Amino acid sequence: MTILSDLRFRLRAILQRDAMERELDDELRFHIERETEKYVRAGMVPEAALRKARIEFGGVTRFKEETRDARGITVLDTIVQDLRYGLRGLRSKPAFTAAIVITLGLGIGANAAMFGIVDRLMFRAPARLAAPDRVHRVYMRYLWDGKEQIDNGFSYLRYLDFVRSTTAFDRAEAVSSRMLAVGTADEAREMNVGTVSAGFFQLFDAPPALGRYFTTEEDTPPSGTPVVVLSHAYWQLHYGGRNVLGTSLRVGDAVYTIIGVAPEGFVGIDDVNPSAMFIPITSFAGLRNHQYLQNYGWTWMDMIVRRRPDVSIAAANTDLSLAFARSWELERERNSAESPNYPGASKVHARAEAAPLLLARGPDADQNSHVATWVMGVAVIVLLIACANVTNLLLAHAVKRRREIALRLALGVTRRRLLQQFLTESMLLALLGGVAGLAVAQWGGRMVRRIFLSTEDTSAVVTDGRTLFFVALTTAVVALLTGLAPALHALRGDVADALKAGSRDGSYRRSRIRTALLLFQGAFSVVLLVGAGLFVRSLSHVRGMRLGYDVAPVAYVEGVTRGVKPSEAEMNALAERLVAAATTIPGVQSASLTISVPFWSTEGRGVPFVPGVDSVRKLGRFGLQAGSTSYFETVGTRIIQGRGFTDNDRAGSERIVVVSEAMAKALWPGKNPLGQTMRVGSDTNPFMTVVGVAEDMRGREITGGAEFWYYLPMQQYVTLFGARYPNLFVRVNGRAEDHVETIRKALQREMSGDSYVKAVPLGTLVAPRQRSWEFGAKMFVAFGGLALVLAAIGLYSVVAYGVAQRTHEIGIRIALGAGLGDVMRMIVLQGVAFAVAGIAIGSVIALWAGRWVEPLLFSQKAFDPVIYAGVGSVLLVVALAATIQPALRATRVDPNEALRSD
Amino acid sequence: MTDRLDLPQGTLDLLILKALSLGSQHGWAISERIHQVSQATLQVPQGSLYPALHRLERQGWISAEWGTSDNNRRAKYYALTRTGRKQLDAETDAWDRLTAAVALVLKMA
Repeated sequence: MTILSDLRFRLRAILQRDAMERELDDELRFHIERETEKYVRAGMVPEAALRKARIEFGGVTRFKEETRDARGITVLDTIVQDLRYGLRGLRSKPAFTAAIVITLGLGIGANAAMFGIVDRLMFRAPARLAAPDRVHRVYMRYLWDGKEQIDNGFSYLRYLDFVRSTTAFDRAEAVSSRMLAVGTADEAREMNVGTVSAGFFQLFDAPPALGRYFTTEEDTPPSGTPVVVLSHAYWQLHYGGRNVLGTSLRVGDAVYTIIGVAPEGFVGIDDVNPSAMFIPITSFAGLRNHQYLQNYGWTWMDMIVRRRPDVSIAAANTDLSLAFARSWELERERNSAESPNYPGASKVHARAEAAPLLLARGPDADQNSHVATWVMGVAVIVLLIACANVTNLLLAHAVKRRREIALRLALGVTRRRLLQQFLTESMLLALLGGVAGLAVAQWGGRMVRRIFLSTEDTSAVVTDGRTLFFVALTTAVVALLTGLAPALHALRGDVADALKAGSRDGSYRRSRIRTALLLFQGAFSVVLLVGAGLFVRSLSHVRGMRLGYDVAPVAYVEGVTRGVKPSEAEMNALAERLVAAATTIPGVQSASLTISVPFWSTEGRGVPFVPGVDSVRKLGRFGLQAGSTSYFETVGTRIIQGRGFTDNDRAGSERIVVVSEAMAKALWPGKNPLGQTMRVGSDTNPFMTVVGVAEDMRGREITGGAEFWYYLPMQQYVTLFGARYPNLFVRVNGRAEDHVETIRKALQREMSGDSYVKAVPLGTLVAPRQRSWEFGAKMFVAFGGLALVLAAIGLYSVVAYGVAQRTHEIGIRIALGAGLGDVMRMIVLQGVAFAVAGIAIGSVIALWAGRWVEPLLFSQKAFDPVIYAGVGSVLLVVALAATIQPALRATRVDPNEALRSD
Repeated sequence: MTDRLDLPQGTLDLLILKALSLGSQHGWAISERIHQVSQATLQVPQGSLYPALHRLERQGWISAEWGTSDNNRRAKYYALTRTGRKQLDAETDAWDRLTAAVALVLKMA
């Protein structure tokens, strides 16, 4: 038989059911008529002939059923029937249905929301990217300070070296995302601007919506051409979609001409932080600072490549590694005068690789994506707990229906048919749950995305194909998981027994599946709550940790010059002006210039030269900070030995330096650091004397060993390294966020032309580093709480159901003289037993899983008795609360009534 | 009637296909034809005839259309399709070999 004709036949059978039925009737009638005629011709009376014909033919109904079977429509027919039956059943018990739909909705919704995050972090290629499986981000690896460094930060020179010496790629582009001020005067806003090389757009299948993209000629050093391509969203929002080609727009340091608009949906390679517009990378760098294009040490961009179709990833990696080694040697040659001992490429094992484009999938994924993956796992557990709950409810329901089922089996309905009906019912429930889940994900998803992606994201869950597909898949799995056990359970057992037993099961039997499900719920609630405890404590550790400076009362202020290129002297004057002005603002205690800003930018001047100490390089990285006289008071860094800066530390006076405690201990172990000397930068720089030791501070990483920092008075720093930037710390009375706007307004008066002032609380720079623990804590608490509620509902329903089942037995006990306390104890102990077993099993699992979570925690061991004890007591209390109501109901059983009924 | 034989399992399809190889027919005529050609030895179980016809139609071996019968009544006529004809050849061949083999065994010794 051909599949096509079979399909056509079946389709007709379904779509034209009535017509087919009529035809069947006609065909039969015709047959019987002819048969009757035959008998009449043979001499029979017509009535007798008709009767004989009918008898010969046999049962018409059975025959019709068989013919329908032959047409192959019964399967679909019964599905429709089951659906109707199922819907009717659900409508008749709305509370039961609502409980299940809400439970599943929460479970599925949590997963849909998390899937949206993890998908975007880890799996989804940027919109409109052509050949996404061949597009890579380039990472370099090399040994430094005895440790392997993984680095995707490229300098422009390095990028050019790679472009020149690789052959494995048909595209090699430079990309950097920058916050630049767009617009003029009061209209100016800092926006995410994509600075990209001209070929970047060719990575995408995205012809411009208007105008054109920029060309290689417009993206050539030293400073490119100031042309800009707007994103579709920016074009719509700010220009209402009108023809803007040729219009001028100030972006960062220059006035750009709009030459094109990208098509809708095109956001570059980072759809979490989409670019508002795109400018030639050389135009940004050339106009900003020549170092961007001419210094190997300025790493500020990523390199994105597309492999040729015939080149394997392994071959591409070899190609890249060779290019990196060559580039490393070029850099060494170029800097040979300054650092003659720079190690060679082979010594540092310089390698490079074509890694996945998505950062979270790359070799240097940040903690956020690890935590997101964990939370996705947690969401799956929540869903499993929800499923266990629903299964339990359905099981209870199935037990109630045993008599009905037995009756139907006795009447000849096949078990297969009943199984199908059960599954249809759980499918219906899962479907409703899926719809509820979408609503939950839509509502809760925005919140979750804000936490994880730190962006105002308006994309809807319900319109995202991948999320919808995921939800559909989850729903199907849920239907199977929740439907199968109750169905099999109900079909098992002896028909005669069930019919004889009546609606009340003579003996109360505890179902093994239900017990297992309940234990599973309890145990995993414990696991999630332990996780929540670990992350909450991590967060409180990280929040409570002393960073070596005060965060709350300090604001960071940056003067940004635009349109003019100030000389060094003008820059210095502006910086001093800003500090002076800042100290006069009401509410400001003090202000200091700064070079490094914690977790924002770190000034490094290589490894200090310290007389009498060899291999200083091996000790680690050294950060340089310089500040005004009031620096230590302003940021709150304590001097633990010697002194800080004074007004006497001027350009011409004795060179001094303050070092951090860890640095002092590393350089001069066991000796008094005061009076020691060191030198930074070139060999001709003067030696500096250590006059003070400051408490350790963190400015690069929030985890890991203590960092090495040294501090120079600003005036001496300037004589060594040139201009200072108009960047300052301002200490206020109270909290910085209450003052930043006042400070910004006051200092803006000192700026001329298009230049402007930015002021942010220091906390906003530190907070992102604490975010992964914050996510962990929030999500684990939310999901752990959800799991606990679900488990509590599960326990309640099982215990309550048990009480209802045992009414008869309880009645007998009371009649025989059992006290109310005995009855209550019996019921409550049952709940407590569950809780204790759940705590035990869950603790074992949590201990076992702990070693994988530990790296994500912050100075927190995975085993923490306080947390385990806390979770245990919470679970016990919840178990008591869940059993108390059914237990009370049990005490109200009237023995007379209980014994009389059925 | 003692001279009637029940159809062996699985032969009904073959007989229907054969009956239709001489031209299209409606259900009643097919059963009549088999009855007559077999000299009233074979009786098609009427309850099985129509399910078999519908099954064969679904398999694409026969096609059906409504026509007018010799007594001027609307009747459903079945006809052999091309694949049905091939199927008939194959099944006839298989049947011949089967009966020959069975006959050989039965005449043994």
